Amino acid sequence: MAAGFNWFLVLSSVFLCNLVKTLLPSISSFLSKIFQKDADQEMEMRTEIQNMKMELSTVSMMDEFARYARLERKINKMTDQLKTLVKSRTAQQAKIKWIVNIVFYILQAALMISLILKYYAEPVTVVPSKWIAPLERLVAFPSGIAGGVGITCWLVVCNKVVAIILHAVS
Amino acid sequence: MEASEEAESAAQQQNNAAQRRAEIRRRKLLLNSEQRMKKIVGFSQSDADSARVLEPRLQLDLDGMEACSSKRLSPLLSESLGSVSDEAAADERSVSPRRGLQKYLSRFDDAMKLRGQLSAEKPAQDSGGEEELDSFCLFRLVCSVALAVFVRIFVCQYLSIFAPFLTLELGFMGLHKYFPKVEKKSQTTMLTAALLLSGIPAEVISRSMDTYRKMSDVFSDLCVYFFSFITCHELLLLFGCDAS
Repeated sequence: MAAGFNWFLVLSSVFLCNLVKTLLPSISSFLSKIFQKDADQEMEMRTEIQNMKMELSTVSMMDEFARYARLERKINKMTDQLKTLVKSRTAQQAKIKWIVNIVFYILQAALMISLILKYYAEPVTVVPSKWIAPLERLVAFPSGIAGGVGITCWLVVCNKVVAIILHAVS
Repeated sequence: MEASEEAESAAQQQNNAAQRRAEIRRRKLLLNSEQRMKKIVGFSQSDADSARVLEPRLQLDLDGMEACSSKRLSPLLSESLGSVSDEAAADERSVSPRRGLQKYLSRFDDAMKLRGQLSAEKPAQDSGGEEELDSFCLFRLVCSVALAVFVRIFVCQYLSIFAPFLTLELGFMGLHKYFPKVEKKSQTTMLTAALLLSGIPAEVISRSMDTYRKMSDVFSDLCVYFFSFITCHELLLLFGCDAS
């Protein structure tokens, strides 16, 4: 029974990998929100800048130049601080995205290598060899069993099919 | 008295010497400016300039010399002609680096344009994602699945499963023209940019890309067909309906 479901195990693994790959951006943004501590501060700064700009629009430059200049300096200073904050946040997001991608690719590579090592000698499924003639050797690689479907061929086929299905669905 | 006269004459001689030196420097600069202009302007004007080189040289020499004779002109002329031919040879040598430089600059311009195109198309690619499945593509996939199931149930006992697949692909080649043609926008990728910069014509690149796309479609059909066949086979085995 277990041997009969090898093909399904490989298919499920490939499907899971491809699904997680499509969800990587969402995972990265979710983790960024968790690790981000300055989100509230940023919102406050934005609100404050907006309020100051509104106040600046009510102040006449001719009549109250000193106040106007003071307010404008405040706005500029806060805008610079906000820019610095946004820059650091963006850098952190990029770093998190990079780490998530690296971890995913390492895990995917480990999974694929383990599958290949597990099914190196035995095929994932066996069919009569005359059905898949004249490509039986290529299909059976690396197991070498006539009529068998080797892990590499099945991995390639599953990857392609899952990619097409996910592309059609998304 | 005599000492002052001597001092005056010495000063006058010094002035004359300084003037002569200044004059020589001026002529040397003028001479060099002609050569410099010739190099800057280019080979096409070198012939015209070479004729003009003779005249100022002769004129300069004629101006510089207080007593000039015909004997002195002819060796000067032959010397100028020899120098012009040398300059032509030197110009020919300088043409090839100049052409190489122009070629390099044009390639650099192309590279900058392609870089701009890549950066402009990258957000579109990121937001748009891959191309959508058109109707013919969908038709192919559905036919591949259907044929795989049919072959598993009725045909596989008699012949190889790849024979019906090849027939199907031949049928697709014929049916292609009955489906609406979707204009696929050629995207500038790093590969196409590198191929363009290496001198391969754009038409060759686009034809190669079309061929690659068609091969990719056939491979996708084969993968879907084989996957459907194996899945159908396993499901039939699972439910014990295998009559073969």
